[in-house]
Amino acid sequence: MTGHRRLAHLRWACAAAVIASASLAAQQRNGDWPMYSGNYRSERYSPLTQITASNVSKLHPIWVYQPPGAGSLETTPLVVDGVMYATAGPTAVQAIDIRSGRPLWEWTRPIPASVLNLGFPRVNRGVAYADGRVYVGTLDGYLVALDARSGIERWTVHVGENPLGHSVTAAPLVVDNKVIVGVSGGEAGIRGFLDAYDARTGKQVWRFWTIPSPGEPGSESWPGDSWVHGGGATWLTGSYDPELKLLYWGTGNPGPDWNGDSRVGDNLYTSSIVAIDVETGKAKWHFQHTPHDVHDWDSNQIPVLVDAEINGRMRKLIVQANRNAFFYVLDRQTGEFILGAPYAKQTWAKGLDAAGRPIVIPGMEPSEKGTLVYPSLQGSTNWASPSYSPQTGLLYVPTREMGSIYFKTPAEYRPGTYYTGGSERRLDEESWGAVRAIDVKSGRKVWDFELPTPSWAGVLSTAGGLVFSGSNEGNVYALDAKTGKPLWEFQTGGAVRSGPMSFEFDGKQYVAVAGGHALFLFGLE
Amino acid sequence: MRYALIASALLASATTALAQPRRARPVPATQTIAAGKTLFDAQCAWCHGAGGDGGTGPNLHGRLRHATDYKSIVDIITSGIPGTEMPSFRSPLTARHIGQIAAYVQSLVRTRGPSVAGNVERGAAIYRANGCANCHTVDGGGGTLGPELTSIGATRGGPYLRDAVVKPAAAHPPGYLVVRAVRADGQEVRGIRVNEDVFWIQIRDAAGNVHVLQKAELSKLERQLDASLMPSYASRVTGSDLDDLIAYLTTLRGAK
Repeated sequence: MTGHRRLAHLRWACAAAVIASASLAAQQRNGDWPMYSGNYRSERYSPLTQITASNVSKLHPIWVYQPPGAGSLETTPLVVDGVMYATAGPTAVQAIDIRSGRPLWEWTRPIPASVLNLGFPRVNRGVAYADGRVYVGTLDGYLVALDARSGIERWTVHVGENPLGHSVTAAPLVVDNKVIVGVSGGEAGIRGFLDAYDARTGKQVWRFWTIPSPGEPGSESWPGDSWVHGGGATWLTGSYDPELKLLYWGTGNPGPDWNGDSRVGDNLYTSSIVAIDVETGKAKWHFQHTPHDVHDWDSNQIPVLVDAEINGRMRKLIVQANRNAFFYVLDRQTGEFILGAPYAKQTWAKGLDAAGRPIVIPGMEPSEKGTLVYPSLQGSTNWASPSYSPQTGLLYVPTREMGSIYFKTPAEYRPGTYYTGGSERRLDEESWGAVRAIDVKSGRKVWDFELPTPSWAGVLSTAGGLVFSGSNEGNVYALDAKTGKPLWEFQTGGAVRSGPMSFEFDGKQYVAVAGGHALFLFGLE
Repeated sequence: MRYALIASALLASATTALAQPRRARPVPATQTIAAGKTLFDAQCAWCHGAGGDGGTGPNLHGRLRHATDYKSIVDIITSGIPGTEMPSFRSPLTARHIGQIAAYVQSLVRTRGPSVAGNVERGAAIYRANGCANCHTVDGGGGTLGPELTSIGATRGGPYLRDAVVKPAAAHPPGYLVVRAVRADGQEVRGIRVNEDVFWIQIRDAAGNVHVLQKAELSKLERQLDASLMPSYASRVTGSDLDDLIAYLTTLRGAK
């Protein structure tokens, strides 16, 4: 299929004269926002300091951009060399001029209604950028490289079979001339994988299967042929440590989601973090948060890389607030479990043992009559990004306080249909949400900023001492990063289901975030 | 979210009820219906009541508003009914299981539900005499503080309606959450939450006035999950009067 492209302005020629070949990390220092989570550590932290607690009350909209089409925006835009790259569902990319808010080009891939999206909306969450190219996954299971100046397609590769439930909604990650891309489809009985493609040619470099085949390590955790439809989707963007050359990627639930009868065992490497050698595509270590998951508690939440002193020793850590309601600190060199504690209401585990394995309370699995469990199927947090501020040492987590009654039904694999074996009845009315600040060294809650409902908005923290996020009710707001006190708010008029980001252009700091179907740019002047 | 508006829109979305046509299609095997009942009890009875007698969801005996045959029942279970509380079951149930439930539902449609032992005309008089119309609208007439009842008999079952009259707090519909806000000066506002975001809340009080309050200026904000603005009629409408009132409410199946 060929995408449709629209060149909007000739001013593009002036706007992006030179594509810098500086490293992506250096670009963030230049004030850009070069990748989905801001940097390889996935801190979603901006080092910019112009917008502060004392002037944030003056923040106001500079422009609002409404991409063609309809549906909620779940994008985190990138900014590289003065151009913003945003996405819209089902699969569209826009290059936007920051001064005017007008598109330089818009690229749309035709997505027929027959394209499957089993278990998630028809959205796209963002692009990756490297060396003058923009990389985007497609709802129908492809990865496309676009020329960053024109939106012209350079190559397209087939990642996964959409008729079997594969889609790509996550932003890819570019590492050392490789485009790393994960897949959705955990509710369709796919066998999950993470792929690396050559950034110049699109040729596949490696594939890591998240479910081992018979004979491979971990295969003993799958009886019979249950591994074939074992799930373990890789549907959000991971993180990368350039020194260790390791990728850190979360994996999704096993299949079928809520009926584990056919897959007795731990079901490796589902609901886990896997550390993968970026050169070989082989796993170096794994840590499974929820062995034999039966509540759809994916571990795809963005893993954040933190260096901190633990017991008097500087350690390279990976921290994650997991969908299963526990906060985890691991050693990112070895996968060793260092710390774990619940950060939200949960009723399924007594706690974690010395190795970090949950001590499961019997009788909490889904049942025919229904079993009330906290958290809900959507988890204590979900795909909305957390943020880590090295300034405060706090991880800011979009937290969901909600329980569900989980039901179990018979599961039957049929290609291209749901393979879930159950359902849930959420306790919507009593539910609530928060931006929750967690001290990464202790796992303790430092403050809560309460929200009327469990939010789908990501969080941004800045060196200006601020935290930005949104709400289902359309609010975008800034909080004091130390105390959680609200300092500024704006009503966008549509649910905020995206992650705010910040960048510098022409010497001025801006914040961008999508609310409803519109992308808002905020600035001080 | 616009809870209050959604709820009244739901109850107002009346369509003409269709009689179940006679079809010359084979009657599903008893085992299929039995399998369907097992699944129905687990997945559907929550709203439609045990045996499909109705609850927060409609009674499934006699006639259905949105389905006329086996295929349309399958379609509704598969895709849900947009604009109503009926969700899609495409994810939890396989096509085979949806077929079994549809066969069971079709068997319910062919039978009469539990008879409501009341006199409809006397029930209408009790409705008027107790001032129900001060807060509820039927066929365009009445108050607007409570949910519209024009088609309440089509969307809610008898047992639920009985509860709603006797123990309204335990049966308050979505969109009628009661909240209590106390301003910094001590003044209190209690009513139905019309809308709420992170920084503002709008409350409709018992007199119908809407208060727009900034949360930062409140000393207290409580969600009263177990409360209703509707008083209990347990002591005022009793015995056969209650049966008559419920009988009347179950006949309200859409604007005439």
